[in-house]
Order: sequence, then structure tokens, then C-alpha cells
Amino acid sequence: MRFSNEKIVGKSVLPDEAIPLLEGEGRFINDISFSGMYHVAFLRSQYAHARLLSIDTEAARAMPGVIKVMTGAELVGRVEPFRSMPNRFSGGESVQNWLAVDKVRFCGEAICVVVAEDRATAEDAVELIDVDYDPLPVVTSAREGEKDDAPRIHEECKNNYLIKREYERGEVDEAFANAHAVVERSFHIGRKQAMCLEGRGCVAAFRQGSFKLSVWMSHQLPYVVRHYIAKHLGLAETDVRVIASQTGGGFGQKASIYPEEFLCSYLALQLRRPIKWVEDRLENMVASTHARENDVELKIAFDKDGHILAMNSDIWADVGAYSTYLWSAGMEPLQIAGLMPGPYKVPAMRYVTRGVATNKTPVGPYRAVGRPTASTSLELLLDDAARQLGLDPVELRKRNLITSDVMPYRNANNLVHDHVGYEACLDLSTAEADYKKLRKEQEQAAPNGKLRGIGVACFAELTGLGTSTAVGPGTLLQPGRDAVTLRLETSGTLTIAAALPSQGQRIATAMRQVAADELGMKLEDISCVTNDTGMAPYGFGTFASRTAVFGSGAVIKASQELRERLLALGAHLLDTPQEELGIVESVIQTLDRSKSVSLAELAEQSFFSAKHIPEELNKGFEITSFYDPKRGSFAAGAHTVVVDLDPETGDVEIVRYVAAEDVGRVINPAVVEGQIIGGIAQGIGEALLEELVYDEDGQPRTVTLADYLVPSSMEIPKIELHHANTPSSAIGGFKGCGEGSIIGAVGAIACAINDALSRKGGDLQVFPATPERVLRALNVEMREA
Amino acid sequence: MGKEQTITCKVNGRSYEKSVPVRQSLADFLRDTLSLTGTHLGCEHGVCGACTVSINGRSVRSCLTLAVQADEAEIVTIEGLRNESGEWHQIQKSFHENFGLQCGYCTPGFLITAIELLEENPDPTEEEVREALSGNICRCSGYSAIVTAVMAAARDMRELQKT
Amino acid sequence: MAPQAHPDSEKRVKAPWFEYQAPRTLKEGLEALRDAGPDGRVLAGGQSLMPMLNMRIAAPTHLIDINRIETLNHLTVEGDMLRIGALVRHADVLRSKKIREGWPLLTEATTQVAHLAIRNRGTVCGSISHNDPAAEHPSILATYDGSVVIASTEGTREVPADAFSDGMMSTILEPGEMVIEVRYPRPAAGAGQAFVEYARRLGDFAVAGAAAILEVREGKCARARLTVVGMGDGPFRAAGAEDLLIGAEMDASTSAELFAAAAAKVMDEVDPAEDVHASSGYRRHLAGVLTKRALATAFARTGSV
Repeated sequence: MRFSNEKIVGKSVLPDEAIPLLEGEGRFINDISFSGMYHVAFLRSQYAHARLLSIDTEAARAMPGVIKVMTGAELVGRVEPFRSMPNRFSGGESVQNWLAVDKVRFCGEAICVVVAEDRATAEDAVELIDVDYDPLPVVTSAREGEKDDAPRIHEECKNNYLIKREYERGEVDEAFANAHAVVERSFHIGRKQAMCLEGRGCVAAFRQGSFKLSVWMSHQLPYVVRHYIAKHLGLAETDVRVIASQTGGGFGQKASIYPEEFLCSYLALQLRRPIKWVEDRLENMVASTHARENDVELKIAFDKDGHILAMNSDIWADVGAYSTYLWSAGMEPLQIAGLMPGPYKVPAMRYVTRGVATNKTPVGPYRAVGRPTASTSLELLLDDAARQLGLDPVELRKRNLITSDVMPYRNANNLVHDHVGYEACLDLSTAEADYKKLRKEQEQAAPNGKLRGIGVACFAELTGLGTSTAVGPGTLLQPGRDAVTLRLETSGTLTIAAALPSQGQRIATAMRQVAADELGMKLEDISCVTNDTGMAPYGFGTFASRTAVFGSGAVIKASQELRERLLALGAHLLDTPQEELGIVESVIQTLDRSKSVSLAELAEQSFFSAKHIPEELNKGFEITSFYDPKRGSFAAGAHTVVVDLDPETGDVEIVRYVAAEDVGRVINPAVVEGQIIGGIAQGIGEALLEELVYDEDGQPRTVTLADYLVPSSMEIPKIELHHANTPSSAIGGFKGCGEGSIIGAVGAIACAINDALSRKGGDLQVFPATPERVLRALNVEMREA
Repeated sequence: MGKEQTITCKVNGRSYEKSVPVRQSLADFLRDTLSLTGTHLGCEHGVCGACTVSINGRSVRSCLTLAVQADEAEIVTIEGLRNESGEWHQIQKSFHENFGLQCGYCTPGFLITAIELLEENPDPTEEEVREALSGNICRCSGYSAIVTAVMAAARDMRELQKT
Repeated sequence: MAPQAHPDSEKRVKAPWFEYQAPRTLKEGLEALRDAGPDGRVLAGGQSLMPMLNMRIAAPTHLIDINRIETLNHLTVEGDMLRIGALVRHADVLRSKKIREGWPLLTEATTQVAHLAIRNRGTVCGSISHNDPAAEHPSILATYDGSVVIASTEGTREVPADAFSDGMMSTILEPGEMVIEVRYPRPAAGAGQAFVEYARRLGDFAVAGAAAILEVREGKCARARLTVVGMGDGPFRAAGAEDLLIGAEMDASTSAELFAAAAAKVMDEVDPAEDVHASSGYRRHLAGVLTKRALATAFARTGSV
């Protein structure tokens, strides 16, 4: 007989992780100090593209308090640079030295590192380094960079392609030839960055504790970092411990391998001292990975009823100066292209996608990677098609969504959709928004003179990717295998250990909730460690909306085994058949509670009175389980957005926001809501405010937070959030929810804006929709001089 | 005069007398000299608000204040929000109960700012809350839970006043 | 110069080195400012100066912190003159009932200045001395036909607001001089006042803004003051538009066309800069839109005389 506690999964349990943060006791990287610690500062390139003729570090080295000044030359032959082969489909290789050797390729590229007794001295010394640059011609756009006569950034990369891939499935040309309507759209999204409140940083410590090298890092993937540090520094993996310190935001920016932290590790070994580096904001704007800056030319063939017959896309991603280590320059262009069909039935598709190197900060993963770009260009085109075909935009979507009755459905991009409700989300979103009423109201002229627009965008989001689904087709890197260890402690409490660090998603609380239900233990008897390779089994880490699926799935698997063993020993201790026992509130007991033994008592027996227990019943209560869901689990959503455009200032105001999402089985509703709304907020920033601008010399013009605008509390409207959840087929029925909502947000806002503009004959192709761009789309005259 | 000065100040109810470099920011003084690392640095040019502390009852960017300017001042940081018995301030309770934080990096600034708002305006509308908090950036939450937390704190504090 | 470790090196210091003084009297302060030479700077609120130091784009040799000079912390109304001392914070302005009642344009503009924590420290006189073209205070002072009181060890002088700006981030202050007070004459009874700004987010520097004071007598415009924010050099005094308005028929039927004409004049006359947030063309266009709106709102607020 199986008993269980009242279900804790599904409740908004207050997270213990928040307690130290509310008291000011979180240990972020800048809060960590060791005696004898040295501090590091970097000299960064002031040119976007230049040969390094000479570097004079003499004055810097002579400054009292300076320990060492290092240039790239010292590392040649000593450490392997980051050689990134984007993809087996592309040619060309980008080699990124940890410190530039011979050439710099983006403004902000690190040239020298200064180690000093304190950060101020290190910064003062950096100012004394003299670099002789020989400027080279600069590439500042993907379209310009791919031209035959463009300056070449990497010798082996012709046309500056770090990746170029073509794909076709189905009879695309035939579909276009026989189409009732062919609709085309151009879409451009500007460059952005994650803008975590906390920049990157690390403390690399030599022989601090039992490991040769311990590295605290503001990072999302501690085991991956450990693997590559060991590889690059010639250490045994077992010599290295990586701890993700309390991390102030990640969003993918802290999921790449960067030179700075590796340099600190190298210096720690060489100088045999703890080495600290903390990125300040100005540095972060150029030194940490950027995202987006994509061009899409999309063409879709429709039949007379508005069904998609085929899709053709041409994509350019401005991926910056190097193919970032780990994810490669292939990540964005391949995801934009491969995920273009979204939640719609696409019988045939073709794409040509390109990752073009430019002299800008390299692009890395950032919340939802290529999906907002793919989805927004598609959703905008669907609205165009609706207008052309005389259909309501929601009706057009309904005709094309992959519905439950045809699932499992293999789409032209070879992804299989199952256990997800696209139509349910669309119906819920439009019903809650009272879409019909919104359209009626739109017909009446607005009393305030504003132009009203309505946008409805649907999205599919593949979460919890297992080993059979790569980050992008052909990418050499395949995550997908994570382990969780459950350990009964001597006191009878439980420790969960998993290398799935949190940046606020409350992964520890979620796994504790799952374990509590699975094992019948009290929540307060369970603790969870998620950030330390010294304490947790191998896990790829936290990114790509996977921890709910992987962590919880592995917890369930391990719990099943653990529960079996506990009940077997319990049966022996209570002299009762195992089938009559269950675990309730951390006590093994019969249904009528006439016989019981607490887990505390059981543990005491198991650990300290073992000679009285048959060996086969005391194999240990520490279980490690790996979980690979193989495929991914599709999450979904539909966002309905109403905007008012001010036709005089170009201001865009979001007046209503209704989101309906399918995030599978929910572990902690309040945490999930926080993720969804957080994603929407970043989507609002992406659609309206955030853009990293470079001038024609490759100089960044958005260098402070007064230039790069992220939404404040005034720019985020009230979000009406609804759920239409379908459990996934993964263990536990969970799905990831960290990234989907940003996709819906960018798409729905863009559609709403163009819905308003189209009524005045205007159209916006370039986002973010700054007020100026909106006015230009309305053909408002604006004299330059 | 000169490059170092001695300052006397009260931080979280405790008096300190320290010699500080004149160019040291108050944020660095709190974090490095007094080891109160709860106050965070997100930009060091006054925009993000993570460094906000209370000086003589007013919210101030500690990254834009020199340590020497805190001479004779009373400062409250996030570490000082608990009372002597260790009991949380209502704002901390409300943030916890309403999931008003995720990564926690911006939280110190929000708590201090919210406290000043509620002292000036114990019964704010949601719009007033949003406006008062507009100088604090949160990248994780989208502000919804933060606003809910502050409204709840306002309600609970008004209730406590009545009793 | 041989590299030296600075004697005050600390674990984490962002600003470059400077000499620091915190005088307690104005006399001490002015002497310190004189002695500091051309690279001495006054530190009041610090909300503009400190970011520049932290980012190392300014490196004053001396900082004269005036925050201890009690006599500079006055906010008084004497007859028809509002006097705001150098230590009056934006937050003080917002809390002042006197200002809200007598100089509502000043209150309205101050609500747009940055955010709570910045307003608690930043000063009105500091903002005016800094003269960022996208800041509100320099334009408001000009719209009121206010004046700036400047002090040095040589004495004090009073300069009309219109003559104070000397280009972007630049004023006619000489080395050794500082602003100790700004003065705002009370507008006539029945004057309508309005400030309208467009910023990308609440509290950001204005992309553009317009401040207007109108007096209407017997259906005609008796007085018009109009200043535009964000045009590149400092407060833009829309003298051409003012000329167009003064003496014109101004009532419900004529105002829309009149204000449109004033806006067109402004657009002809401004020469806005281009930056990351806006092209000069968009700024010019905004100047026109906001001029129209400020005038319309000011007009709606005029009382009968």
C-alpha cells in the first residue's frame, strides 16, 4: 500500500533560499575574500579591429603594489586558446586567445591583465600600460561583413562566416509555385545583453581547502567550467572544485566560458595566491556576451484558406568577433532557423542561416536564444497574411496551430510536438482578454488621439532538452545528462545534491518539494545543495529551461529507489510486511499508526547499530540517479497585448497584457509566476527599449545604464497571467518555464504595434520600436537640419 | 584636510570611528571596511539602485556618496532592518511571503526605498508604489511581486499601527 | 612622473585621487575654492559629479564639500521672490507647499527629475551649475526669468538665468566662483504654467521638454515665456515663438492654431544634437510637439484677470 503526504508539489512553498538574501547575508562573488588575496584588472582594447604592434608594461610593472603584468605572449604555448568549431556544417574556425596576441577584434577585448595587492592599484597600473595599435578596417554589420570585399576578421573564415547552413525539407518550390498567396516580411532586432544586476566575477584559490584549485564563480554551469579548467590548465578534474557563488542573475550570459575566469585560475596556480576579479558595469557592457542583432527575410506560402504550405527563411546573425567558447556562433543562427515554424504546422521548409563575424563583442546565449527572433518575424508575417487574406489574425493562427488531435506531430524541422496545448493557450488568452470586444473597441476612434493596436502571438518552447536533441543541429556540444544524489543523513534528514545552481529560480526549493512528496518526508527535514562540484554529482547546469525537468525527474527516480530501501529496513525493524507500511511526515508507519519508526530512529540504527541489521537491508541510503528525458518537452503560450501609440511622440504604451501559458505540471506556482513575468519584462525591454549601438568604427555608444535602457517598474504593466497546463511526458510531467514568456512578449508587442501602424499604412521592420522608429513608420516628417 | 580623515558614524545602531581615504565611497566603506556586504554594487553610476542605503532617514545612493560625507550621520543598511531580537522588519516579511525577490542582488535597495516610501505615504496606491520604486532596477522579477510585497507591507504596517 | 602607489590605496576605490575639504562656513568654502585653482570642484549633491569620478571621466584635484555650510540650506519666499539656496535638494522642492502654490511649474518639473534617492541628495543649484541640456532646472529658472547668485572671495554678483548658460555642460562661472542661490520671481496672478517632458522612461533625462508661462488679459496674450529642454546647448529660450504669442488673440478658438504656429517657429529655431537616444530630426519634431502641449496646458491653467 502506498501512502503519501498531502501534496506539496503545486503549492507556493516559501523558499528558504530567500532568507539570507533578505538579511543581506547572500555571498555573491564580491563578498568573498581571503587573506593574501590579489586583485586583477584588465587592459581592454580601445579599437574594434587592430594589430597590436607593441605593448609596453614597464611602468605598470614598476608600480608598488603590482605583482605581475601579463600579456598574451606569455600564454602562447602554455595554454590552449579557445578554439571554437561552430558546427560540423560550417568551415572556418575562430581562435580566441585569453589575452589578445597580435590582433584585437572587438572594443573591450582583453589585452593585458594586471595583478596587484588591491583593485585600485591594479586599475591605476592599467592606466600606465602603453599599447601601440595599428588600426584595421572594421566590420560592423552582418550584411556588410559577408560581402566578398569585406575585411576578413578570421583568416580561415571566408565571407566572415563562422557558420552557414542550408536546410530543406519537403517540396518547398512546388508549394510556393502553387500557393494562393505568398507573403514576405523583413525583420531586424537590435543587439542586446542580459544585464544581470551582478556582473561576472570569480575568486580562484590555490590549495584553499582540500582541492588544489577551488574557484568560486558567478556562473550557471559549475561542472562544465570544471571540465574545461582541468582541460586547459593540465589539471586532473579531481584537483578542481568549482562553486557557483550566490549569482545575481544569469539568463545565459553566465553560461559561457570566458577568458577572464580562466586567467584568474591560471594566475592562482602560478602565483599560489587567491586571485579575485569582479566585473564592473562599464566592463560588463563590452566584456560579457551580447545577444540577438538578427536579420530575417521570411517568406511563407499560403493556400486560400490561410494554411501554411511552405516557409522559406534567410537569416543573418551578427555574432561578434569570436565564436564563443562552449555554445559557438552557431547557437543563435541555427536556433532561429530551426525553430522558425514555432507551434504551427509547416509541411515544407527551407532556410539559409548565417552567423557572420563582426568586430563587436561576441554573442552568447541569452534567454530564449533565437526563438524570440524566429517567433516575432513569423508572428508579424502571419498578421500581414491575415490582412492580405481578409482573415482575423487569431483565426489564421487557429487554422495553423498544431492541435492535440494530430499529436504526436513531426514538423518540417524534425521536431515532434506532443503533450502540449497550443490551442488551449490561444483560446484562454483571447477569452480572458475578451479579444472580440477589444477589436470592437478598436474600431471606435480612441478619445485620447492615440492609435490602438492589438497583437496576439503564440509560441512553442522546447524545454528540458535530453540527449537526442542538440542545442542546434550539428552542434558538437550535447548536454542532457544530469544526476541527483539523495542522501539520508545520520539524523534521518535528507540532503539532495545536484549541480543545478540557481540564480533566483528556487531550484533547491522545487526539488525539496518533489522529494517531500515522493518520499513522504516533511519539507523541513530536507535540504538541498545545488552549486558545488565538491558536493554534487555531475550535472550540466542551469540553462535552457531544464532544471524542473532534469532535477525533478532525477529526484523522482532516486526517490523511488530510496523509498524501497527505507521501507525494506523499516519492515525489518517493525517486523511488519513491507506492503503494510508507508512513510508519512518522515515516519515509517502502518496505516493505523500502531507501528512506526521515524526516519531519525532508522538512521541511527543504520549508521550506529548496523551489526543488528542484515547486510542486504543496509546497503546504504545514498542514491544517485541520472535522468535523461531523451527528447525535450514542449511548453507553450499565447500572449495578447494591447498598445496605444502616441502619433505625435511615437511613444508606445502597453495598456493591457494577457498571457496564457502551458508550463506543464507546476511545482511552485509563485516561483513559476515570477519566472514568467520576469521573462515578459525582458521581452518588453527587447521590444521597446534595449539596444546596444555601435558606430561605424566599431566603437560602442551604449556604455552605461543611462544609455542601455532596461525596464523599470513604470514600464511594466500589470500582467494578467493564466494557465492552461498540460503535463509533459517526462518523469513527473514537468516542463521548463524560464524562457518561453520572453518569446511571447516580443512577438505580441511587435504585432500590436504593427496592428496599430497598419491602420495608417505604416509598418515597422526594425525593433526595438523606439519612438523615433514608430514615427518614421508613420511617415512623420522629421527634418534633420 | 588631506587624503585620509577620521569619521564617526552610526551604522545600524552601532557607533564606529574609522580612518577613511577621502576618495572611498560609502558603499565600499560599508562593504570593505565594516564588512557589511549586504549593500550591493550594480553600476557605480547611480542608476541601478542596488546600493541604496538610508542616511539620516533618507534613501541615498551609497555609490555616489563619499564615506567622509557620512561623518556624524546615522546609516541604516539591509543588515540593520532586523530589530534587536532578530525579528524581521515588516518589509522583509512581506517580501518573503510575496516572493518579492529572485536572485536577491537588487533587494537591499528595494527594501530601503520601500521603507522610505511607506514612512512618507503609509497608504500608497499601486501606481504610487511603482513610481517610488522606479529608481530601482530588477532584472529578474518584472516588478509584479515586488509591488505586491510593498502593498502588503503597507497594509500590515497600517494594521499594526492600529493595535 | 615616477609611478607611485597612492598612499590611500584601499581594497576597492573607484574614484581617482583628490584633496577633500568640508568647510563649515561660506567664507571658508569660498577661500578653499579659490585656493583649489582651476581644477577644484564644488561637491553638493554629487549626483552628477560622483558618476563622472567613478567612471574616471572627471579628475578634479580638489573637492570642496559644501554640505556642512548650514547657511546655504535655505528655501524662503520674500515678498514675490523665491530664494533657493545651494543645499536645497530636489526632494525639498517637492515637499514645499509654498513652491507648489506659488511656483507650480517648478514643482511639476521637479517631479520629472530622476528618482527618489537621487532627489534626496541632488540640489537645484547643482543641477543649474552642471547645465546638462537635458536637465529640467536650468530651463525652469530661465522660464521664470530667474537669476543666479554667484559668490567668490571677491564678493557676490547676480546674473539673469538667460545669461548663465555658456553651452552644453558649461556656464559663465569663473574659477573660484560658485552658485549660492537661485531666485525665481513670482509670476503674475492668473498666469498659467506648465511643464511637459518626453523621456524614454520615467526619470530619465529628457529627450526633449518644454516649459511655458502664459498670461492672458482680455483675450490677448499679455506675456509668454517658453523654454525648450534638450536642444543641445543649454536651455533654449524660444524668443521667436514668444514674440509670435505676445499680443496675439488667445482664446479657445484661436489657441490651437496659435500654438501650432509657435511650435513651428520653435522647430525652425532649435538646433538639437544627435545621440544614442534620438536623432536631431526627432528631437526637433518633439520640441514642436511638446511646445504645443505645454502651451495648451499653460493656457488651460490661466486664471481670469
